[in-house]
Amino acid sequence: MSKEHESGMSVIVKTITRLTVGLIFLFGIYILVHGHVSPGGGFAGGVIIALSFVHLMLAYGKEVSFKKLPRAVVHFFESFGALMFLGIALLGFTSGYFFINFISKGQPFKLFSAGIIPLCNIAISLKVGAGLFAIFLALVLLKFEAEKRK
Amino acid sequence: MSVYLLCLVLFCVGLYCILRKRNVIKIIVGVVIAEYAVNLFLALVAYRFEGRAPIFSPDQKILNMVDALPQALVLTAIVISLATTALLVGIAMRIYEKYGTFDITKIKELKG
Repeated sequence: MSKEHESGMSVIVKTITRLTVGLIFLFGIYILVHGHVSPGGGFAGGVIIALSFVHLMLAYGKEVSFKKLPRAVVHFFESFGALMFLGIALLGFTSGYFFINFISKGQPFKLFSAGIIPLCNIAISLKVGAGLFAIFLALVLLKFEAEKRK
Repeated sequence: MSVYLLCLVLFCVGLYCILRKRNVIKIIVGVVIAEYAVNLFLALVAYRFEGRAPIFSPDQKILNMVDALPQALVLTAIVISLATTALLVGIAMRIYEKYGTFDITKIKELKG
């Protein structure tokens, strides 16, 4: 048994989590990048990506999850998502007005189409995923601080 | 019509849970149930019989589509309810830390 098996839940839960957490992450990315051609989009994809990290933290305890995604990185991605959305909107001024779709639209119903909408979806998913994971982290840290005080 | 009444019943279940239960966690669950009843009602108002989502597809013609506006509204409401639920859980954790109980009748020192 390696050292990472000491904290967290039982071996069964950890094994299943190791097998499924990558698939959940990949499904989130699939929902995210197909947001402009099928149901889904930035919010749903971001929530699923955040849930994969929540899954990891529930099974393995907070140390392993912090090693994969430290707190500073979470805060960076949350701010970066909002600034990226604003930046895409402001780049519209280069060819007209705010939020103009300045990239070429491409073929409809193909993956690389719809101009800036996939980029906006990626920005929203970064914001939503990092924000949701940050809420979960805040609750976990509040719990550990309360236990430490006793 | 009956589905709307069932939505009202679900909302009343949530309201009963908020008003009658003494555990803070159960009150939060009641708030979530009431929120979801309202979301379900809005999504049902927009539903048309045998309709499909108004998403443009290459090989299908949309003959009968549901209204997409309340769905967008419900998506926003879900985000806001997520934030309020996180706030409520945070407040409940601070209450447990300060008073050592989740029972609202045993929280006496409300001042300060």
